Amino acid sequence: MLRHLFKLIWNRKRANLLLISEIFFSFVVLFGVGTLLINFGRNYRLPFGFDSGPVWRLAIRAGQGQKMPRAELDDVLRQVQALPGVQAVALTSDNTPFSFNNNNTRYYNHGLQSPITNNYDADDAYARVMGLRLREGRWFQPIDDASKARPIVISQDFREIMFGKGPAVGRAITGGNPAVDPKTDQYRVVGVVDAVRMDHDFAAPEPALWKRLEPFDTTHWETANVMVRVAAGQGGALQEKIARTVAGVTRQWSTEVRTLEDERLSKRRYTLVPVIALSLVSLFLIVNVALGLFGVLWYNISQRRAEIGLRRAMGASAGAISAQFLGEMMVVTTLGVLLGVLLAAQFPLLGAFGMPTGLYAAAIGAATVAVYVITALCAWQPSRLAARIHPAVALRED
Amino acid sequence: MENLLANSSEPRTQPVALHGAVLRLTDIEKVYQTKTIETVALNRVNLTINRGEFVSIMGPSGCGKSTLLSLMGLLDEPTSGVIEVDGRAVTSFSDRELAGLRNLKIGFVFQSYHLINDLSVVDNVEVPLLYRPGMGSKERRKRAVDALDKVGLSARTGHFPSQLSGGQRQRVAIARALAGGPEIILADEPTGNLDSVMGEEIMGLLLDLNRQEGVTVVMVTHDEHQALKTERVIRFFDGSQVG
Repeated sequence: MLRHLFKLIWNRKRANLLLISEIFFSFVVLFGVGTLLINFGRNYRLPFGFDSGPVWRLAIRAGQGQKMPRAELDDVLRQVQALPGVQAVALTSDNTPFSFNNNNTRYYNHGLQSPITNNYDADDAYARVMGLRLREGRWFQPIDDASKARPIVISQDFREIMFGKGPAVGRAITGGNPAVDPKTDQYRVVGVVDAVRMDHDFAAPEPALWKRLEPFDTTHWETANVMVRVAAGQGGALQEKIARTVAGVTRQWSTEVRTLEDERLSKRRYTLVPVIALSLVSLFLIVNVALGLFGVLWYNISQRRAEIGLRRAMGASAGAISAQFLGEMMVVTTLGVLLGVLLAAQFPLLGAFGMPTGLYAAAIGAATVAVYVITALCAWQPSRLAARIHPAVALRED
Repeated sequence: MENLLANSSEPRTQPVALHGAVLRLTDIEKVYQTKTIETVALNRVNLTINRGEFVSIMGPSGCGKSTLLSLMGLLDEPTSGVIEVDGRAVTSFSDRELAGLRNLKIGFVFQSYHLINDLSVVDNVEVPLLYRPGMGSKERRKRAVDALDKVGLSARTGHFPSQLSGGQRQRVAIARALAGGPEIILADEPTGNLDSVMGEEIMGLLLDLNRQEGVTVVMVTHDEHQALKTERVIRFFDGSQVG
């Protein structure tokens, strides 16, 4: 019977071409959205690589066109650190976790180029404040003051790419930035931490590198970003105190205190909006395709009433008629899905978007199942209708 | 393989077998009911078709001939009365059992051939065999080719219905009815769409099937000339048997 169905579909290939095309495009849409959603889902289950729970981000701004002297900033940090409920404070760059800022570049290890890597500036307290998990070596310490090359700590994924199974701590890398003097663009690895996901809830871990902010750095910043680890249960009162403390040092500086948790949720909403919009558009498209399939099948059956009557007369039961129309739809679906799989398979083969093969395989599997379920649901009612056609009436109509 | 067409113009041989009733209709009534109208299509019909008979059913349009043929072919259920096939009443048969019985016992030939245009001649002839459990594709193909050989169309197996004349299409339909080795062929005006030459050819084929192979044939026709060639003519008028 399967061969018979293939023969029927093949002999009606012109009529079935539209259906096959619709199923192919549905597959492609579902594959695209599926890849995105599965990727997001897989990433969501991964650890962040740091502890964002009891950490606040304190942004101190010197004001339009103003700079803040490092000595005054250090004074602010000391005073905030001394507040009851504050456990530790750390100075960092403005690309804090879950923010919309980023800073990335490539690095080189004797000609081996790294992927795009996130750069963070961090002082000696940063690892403790952020709860980074050290795997090798150490975090920055005062002994690094004497280091010729700027000390860096790298993430585990960066380590694997750049140093493989060999030692990483003590090794040097260069920045390769043509605008920077090569002598000052050298870095020495002092430690390795777990891979981190600092962009948003659904982001994959990205290679990261922390450069030490030296205590004697005389850079005058317009904005200082301070990560504050607080004791559990702290809230608005402490935030008020922190703002007052900063104002106590200099009234010209403004402050903003937000919890990393708020920043995470805010970024999540921002990230999800286009994903939800895309999913809704895809759903709308799929519903349209499903309604189209439903209509085409309905029409198809009304055009084939005599054939249905004939098959019933030749010995087909109502169930066999229903199974035939479902089967035909499954054959058409298989042809559309095969074309879709052929296209989708190019993504892992070409290494597109740097996503793992397993992810694409899962998306292909999910899209295949979804397309079969959709077409089976669309074919179900028309097939039942076909089975209910009275053979004597259908044969008399022609 | 014996080609039935080769003998179609020769004197008819005697029927192969005549043993008992293959189809029996007892007190059959068929009433079509709508919201406003009740139409009696068949009124207390009692009819026995014996094995090996060639019976023609005649009557004016709307007298219930096709309804009777549908009931005989188990394509429809009577409003009341009993239909027996080979002595077994089919009243309580399920849809699946009725389908199985149709497949094994009955072959249909229609005025408008009812060939599937998207299937080749041989694939059309294979259709009833698709519903026969356990039959492999090789066996199906062999039976279909044999049936086409019987009707003189073995050279046309790969053609499509649109490439055939009306007479050839009807021969394909007869081959399809024969492929399953049925005991009964129900033919609904098989020569109705054909010119007189083609009509004679198809009629000859049916007569040969009946006389040489012992297939019981029940034929609905308007053509008195063709009906007189059969062993028995049953006449209907307004849903009742009148002769």
